[in-house]
Amino acid sequence: MDIKNLEKEKNEGIESLPSDERRKFLKIGLAVTGVFLGGTVLSLTSVSTAKGGNTDSVIPAEGQYPYPKHYSMIMRQNNCVDCEICMDACVETNHVPVGHGAWRTTIQERLTTVDGVEKREFRPILCNHCNRPPCVRVCPTRATYKDPETGIVVMNYKKCIGCKTCMAACPYNARYFNHDKYAIDKCNFCIDTRLAAGEKETACAAACPADVRVFGDLKDTSTEIYKLLHEPDKKIWVIRPECGALPNVFYMNA
Amino acid sequence: MKKNVFIAAGITLLAGSFLLISNTAASDDYDVKAFGPKSPIVWNKPVQVIFEHRTHTDDIGLECSACHGELFAMQRGVAERSGKLTMASLADGLFCGACHDGETAFASNSNCVACHEIPEDPIVWTKPVKAVVFYHKAHTEDFGLECDSCHDEAFSMKVGAAEKSPNFTMKALYEGKYCGTCHDGETAFASNTLCNTCHIGAKGYDRLMGIDAHPEGGEKGHSGH
Repeated sequence: MDIKNLEKEKNEGIESLPSDERRKFLKIGLAVTGVFLGGTVLSLTSVSTAKGGNTDSVIPAEGQYPYPKHYSMIMRQNNCVDCEICMDACVETNHVPVGHGAWRTTIQERLTTVDGVEKREFRPILCNHCNRPPCVRVCPTRATYKDPETGIVVMNYKKCIGCKTCMAACPYNARYFNHDKYAIDKCNFCIDTRLAAGEKETACAAACPADVRVFGDLKDTSTEIYKLLHEPDKKIWVIRPECGALPNVFYMNA
Repeated sequence: MKKNVFIAAGITLLAGSFLLISNTAASDDYDVKAFGPKSPIVWNKPVQVIFEHRTHTDDIGLECSACHGELFAMQRGVAERSGKLTMASLADGLFCGACHDGETAFASNSNCVACHEIPEDPIVWTKPVKAVVFYHKAHTEDFGLECDSCHDEAFSMKVGAAEKSPNFTMKALYEGKYCGTCHDGETAFASNTLCNTCHIGAKGYDRLMGIDAHPEGGEKGHSGH
């Protein structure tokens, strides 16, 4: 239809519409208004990605794991001594380039002085493989997505245009630009380098000498991670819960 | 006239200072030929030891020949290079042990700090993990331990001996070896607690050693948000 000539067309009027059509149109209007008044804007988004968390806890409720294999990791944080063996294992396994601020996992250090004594605290971080990942939501080419089988946030390097919007969106700063691939890169729980070969653990978890990182499938109730995560009376936390990204990397003290 | 006054004043000052110098030389009348080298002998192998000629000759009155000849060669570094200068040989009456036997002079297995200095700098282990620090002074001064509390049963005196052992692990500590001798939860905090009291991490190691690990502003150790 030629849009310039549209105004010259004769108005059809509502008289010619059957009353059924009018009723349907009004119903749609009421439904949309109802959503904005009673619900939230988020309730318009796909429900499948919003599963896995309840309002009063960062731990996914029993049976609320949306993926056939729901991979996640729990850190026994106070066991970490910043030996960085995990970082070296990751770099070697996943060919993470050196420099350019590239890392798939790293260790944060916090130094404090309590009563004149220097205290140090180490926290390993990596991609949180969120259930509601902000990076996936902003990607204009759908180059990054939740793997429907495992829930791992993966990259399709061919689709990535390197716009870095996902880097800005990630609350965990867990993405980097890979100059070799000319695409954004990130931790993928070693899905291609180890899990595909039948390994049960990521490179970092396997390398850790202090058993800080426990990796596994939450769907399988016999796994160590399932037991640790659902241990009663244990304080478990996630980083930046306020983002509402529903991260799948959990922290506890051993 | 004025000029002459200045010259005279100058000469007086000069003469005065010469007098001062010769006076101090007279008060510190150290005869190198009679008392041996003025500066201390420092052995670094197998561990650091400081020997003062002066305390043995000037203060105690030993002759050069008391030691030089049979026990120690005059030539510098001979004892150190021989590889025999150990506490074990001292106990057998060799080297310092000839006199330091508990009768002529204090026994060589006592009074360690007379010759050995308590290290000021921390001991830093990088194996099997990077990095663990140990402060001698905290244990001797703050907790009142003696050298023989740890040496040689828990730790050899020799630098790097523990690190070379494949058994220098947390597991060994839990079994009461090395630091685990005391760090058992009763004498001192258990070795499976308070990890980061001794473990300073890779970043802590770089800081301690003054290494700028990421000079290009790389973010390998980036502490994030």
